[in-house]
Amino acid sequence: MADVIHIQIPAWQLPLLILIPPLILGFLVAWLRHLARSRSAPGEEPDWSVPPLEADSKTSPLHHWDVRCKIVTILVYSFLVAALTRLTPVLVAVGLSFMVLLIAKASLSRVLMRLLAIVGFISMFLVVMPFTVPVHDGDKVFVINQIAWLGFNVRGLLLAATIAGKAVAITLLMEPLLATAPLPMTLQGLSRLGVPEMIGQMLLLSYRYLNVFRHEARRMSSGMQVRGFRKRTNMATLKAVANFLGMLFVRSFERTERVFDAMRARGYKGRFPESAEPHVQARDLIWACVWLVAGVMLVTYDRLVF
Amino acid sequence: MHELPHTISPPAMASPTTSQLISARRLSYCYADGTEALSDINLDIAAGDRIALVGQNGSGKTTLIKQLCGLLLPSTGEVHYKNELLIERHLEQSRLEIGLLFQDPDDQLFGHTLLDDAAFGPRNQGLSREAALQAARMALQQVFLEDKIYKAPHHLSFGQKKRAALAGLLAMQPSVLLLDEPTANLDPRQEQVFLDLLKGFSGTLICVSHDLIFLYELCHRAVVLEKGRVEHDYTMDDLVSQRDELRSHGLDFSFRLVVGNTTGRPLHTGPVCATVEDTDTSPSGAQPGSQLTVEMHHYDFRYPDGTHALRGIDISIPRGDRIAMVGENGAGKTTLLSCLLGLQHGRGSYLFEGETVSRRKRKHLWRRVGMVFQDSADQLFCPSVEEEIAFGLEQIGLSKSDIRQRITDVLTMVHLEGFEERVPLHMSGGERKRLALACVLAMKPKLLILDEPTAGLDPHGEELLLNILHDLDVTLLLVSHDIFFVKALTCRTLVMHQGLILEDISTEAFIQDPRLGNLNGLSYAFRRNGSDAIRTLQHEHEHSHPHRHLHAHPHRHGETEHEHLHVHAHEHPHRFAHSHPGEAQEHDHQPRRFHEHDHPDHDKDPDHHP
Amino acid sequence: MHISDGVLPISVTIGGYAASAALAAWSARRTHSEELPKLAVVTAAFFVASLIHVPFGPTSVHLIIPGLTGALLGPSAFLSIGLGLMLQSLLFQFGGLTALGANTLMMGLPALACGWFFQKFKGNARSRQIAIGGVAGAAGTMLAAVILAALLATGGEDFFGVAKIALAAHVPVIIIEGAVSAFTIGFLARVKPALLQPAFAHLTKRDHG
Repeated sequence: MADVIHIQIPAWQLPLLILIPPLILGFLVAWLRHLARSRSAPGEEPDWSVPPLEADSKTSPLHHWDVRCKIVTILVYSFLVAALTRLTPVLVAVGLSFMVLLIAKASLSRVLMRLLAIVGFISMFLVVMPFTVPVHDGDKVFVINQIAWLGFNVRGLLLAATIAGKAVAITLLMEPLLATAPLPMTLQGLSRLGVPEMIGQMLLLSYRYLNVFRHEARRMSSGMQVRGFRKRTNMATLKAVANFLGMLFVRSFERTERVFDAMRARGYKGRFPESAEPHVQARDLIWACVWLVAGVMLVTYDRLVF
Repeated sequence: MHELPHTISPPAMASPTTSQLISARRLSYCYADGTEALSDINLDIAAGDRIALVGQNGSGKTTLIKQLCGLLLPSTGEVHYKNELLIERHLEQSRLEIGLLFQDPDDQLFGHTLLDDAAFGPRNQGLSREAALQAARMALQQVFLEDKIYKAPHHLSFGQKKRAALAGLLAMQPSVLLLDEPTANLDPRQEQVFLDLLKGFSGTLICVSHDLIFLYELCHRAVVLEKGRVEHDYTMDDLVSQRDELRSHGLDFSFRLVVGNTTGRPLHTGPVCATVEDTDTSPSGAQPGSQLTVEMHHYDFRYPDGTHALRGIDISIPRGDRIAMVGENGAGKTTLLSCLLGLQHGRGSYLFEGETVSRRKRKHLWRRVGMVFQDSADQLFCPSVEEEIAFGLEQIGLSKSDIRQRITDVLTMVHLEGFEERVPLHMSGGERKRLALACVLAMKPKLLILDEPTAGLDPHGEELLLNILHDLDVTLLLVSHDIFFVKALTCRTLVMHQGLILEDISTEAFIQDPRLGNLNGLSYAFRRNGSDAIRTLQHEHEHSHPHRHLHAHPHRHGETEHEHLHVHAHEHPHRFAHSHPGEAQEHDHQPRRFHEHDHPDHDKDPDHHP
Repeated sequence: MHISDGVLPISVTIGGYAASAALAAWSARRTHSEELPKLAVVTAAFFVASLIHVPFGPTSVHLIIPGLTGALLGPSAFLSIGLGLMLQSLLFQFGGLTALGANTLMMGLPALACGWFFQKFKGNARSRQIAIGGVAGAAGTMLAAVILAALLATGGEDFFGVAKIALAAHVPVIIIEGAVSAFTIGFLARVKPALLQPAFAHLTKRDHG
């Protein structure tokens, strides 16, 4: 039987109760976003005549780790973390991720930005689940002012917290995975692992033109602003946005043809030239083993101890 | 009417020989929708040729160079490279020897870093990874980008990107370079660097451009395309010296040659500038606030990433003034414009028509400031001209009939009458630029800003735009590298450098002062020299001397009356275009190739047959 | 809306990976192999398009445009969407390393369905293309929302509440996407009808040297 606890709160406090948590969350997100933005200011222009990895003063075991081992290990470990079902091991996983973050000397602002990006989705769970999970035996439910259908189920909160913890633990690993090697090298690692090399090349191309199109889109949107366009909730806005999209597509399809021409003009015949072969050392494998064993232990703990 | 063969025959009309590097025979090409882009092109290009490919927008220049490197295959006719038909295996091989430089470097820089990108070609040539990287490094060094080889292309300035794209081709050690508008949008210093790089290239060059002064410096042979046909094929000197010919092809750029020259005969007299006493050019001029359209004091702007883009800007623009802003790429001009437009907000005081522009008020500046963007594509996004112009007017909240009236008025103003239903995207570059101007003018701005209005226009389009702008009654701020436009449209020039306004002087003084040019990368030296050389070539004067002509006209031989060509000599005045080492000195008059003249007294000619 | 890590049961995430890998491979085969770079460049444009926010009352929604992607890219849309999501997870803040497969299914399947629907019924008249485009745009988002809800519901009855809310949150987006897609198709039909040609005309049916 569920453990129902009734709480009486004066009516005037109810709106406060509903409003305050989202407000706090909102302010927190805004503050963190500001923090991340202001931290992202690059100081001196790095020296671009040497490969960025060597130019980076930050080096860590993760920077030197063979990229294939790194990808496999972090991917498998992420799945292991995703398989956890209880809060305690999840919290341990979050702690582990923080440790890796410190070892990798990852940029804090980028990590923050990644966390902020999942805040919306995760807070939906945190807000909705305590009120919607079905009541089971042994659940602790808080009912406020006799509104029975809006019972706050603690099990729901714990479940949501577990999910949030898993999401954070895995998201924290993205920076150590990706920021410790240049993107082309990471993609090379992927292709060595059996992902078709074309996928890596296409990702690089997409990334390159993403930046071009973003600049284009920015210029177009200032072109619209200069003529007084402001987005509102009305049909005219949707029409203007559609024109904007249409123009973006027309320009990008035209550019696509030109880029393809440029590639063919420089001898592209359907395949990209192959890239260099990295070497795996025993040390790389030991790291991988240690990490994965930690992951397996977490899952065992999760499934057996309770 | 023909002239005698004492004239020089155009070089390429010679019969095809085996020494030609590239030759096109009866080449025609149709687009997928059936419009003919090229028809019956015959062209021979020898190794080491430097060819300027000129013609109006839409005359098929870009299509032709795509044919020459095999990116497009002819509909009929054929293209030979090294005496082999440019198809299949030979085509694949040839592409590795023919480099094509695109107009927009972003099309060409698809690599993740400059080094990756430059190594792409050599890798396709079959070089090993190390050798390819070595070749790429060398090429990047050649274009002075060795300190940026691991940088991503989207972090470079436009001029650097352009050079990086060239490096991608040079790394392949091409024997032929095809260039599509290599200098479009470059600042004068970058232009000079590019010119030197290309002059240093030893192979064959084919260059498409509207910039005849640049072409004059680089090329020795000119091919004029018109409506998909080769109209002329002669030396560069011939091209630039014949103004009538140029004009008939819409290529007359001679109106540009008046810069820094007092003796020439300018087509445009320049703006009506106030006399020195009237114009208070000092930025802190104590004029009544209401008379000033724009006033900025100690204006600073910093990007969120810390770049200090504007430092202590002081400007005042009186109502009705026409002001130019010049400076190298990255001097802060664009940032200043977006501050003026209210897109960005910096620190310091900014007054528009006497009112302080606050953070909130800047959102309303669009009603009073209009800007024509450098790239019309950034500004035109509606499916019809009518909607395009109406877009801004609807934001103002005008009635339907007012909007209709303004559309008609403004289209007349920019010479686009009857274009209401046209699709902006399908219009030519010049028409689009004028449409963008119309969109801005329709909103009746108090301040009109033009950002590089001449980028990508052919000379005909430039002249039209110049005439329209000349007649406008508006406060104008012109941002341009184009010294000619600056001179023709403005009275005052602001020189920007590294976020500062270095000078605020009269345009006349700016043009006369070579020190300013060299100081901030605005060296116009080669333009000035080129203009002088061309002007000398274009020198025309009337001169009479006897010479012989071939004429065809009916005449009698006894009983039979017929028409045939025959020679006779006579004397009549000619306009000569030729170099002139000085008024007093001796000089030759080279005969002119193509000319027609009336021949009224032919029958009385003593040479005439009875 | 993207599913983040740790939400879905582990079996569903792995299943999602397998299914989307298979579909991506099919999609790649339907694309002319030489022209895969073109698809990559176009993907960048769709990515940028999906960053656009449209205000809705006090908040704003960002476009997802699976319907429009499908209509313009046909069978290659799936590969394009997979690529886009991978890029997003690799380079931008949106994570979802383990949920990548499920997310690709969520966006890619509606794109394929709507692409097929658009090409099948679009006809030749501009007004009809606009109407069908609007339906495809709205249906694409609706399908994506349904798949999202279904995926969430695989977590058991604890997740039903969240699934319902997620579904409801998509209702305004469906309307906005429908309208924007209709207008965009209308724009393209007027300005560059070649882009609306049968699925692959601009990506495969082109002979070049």
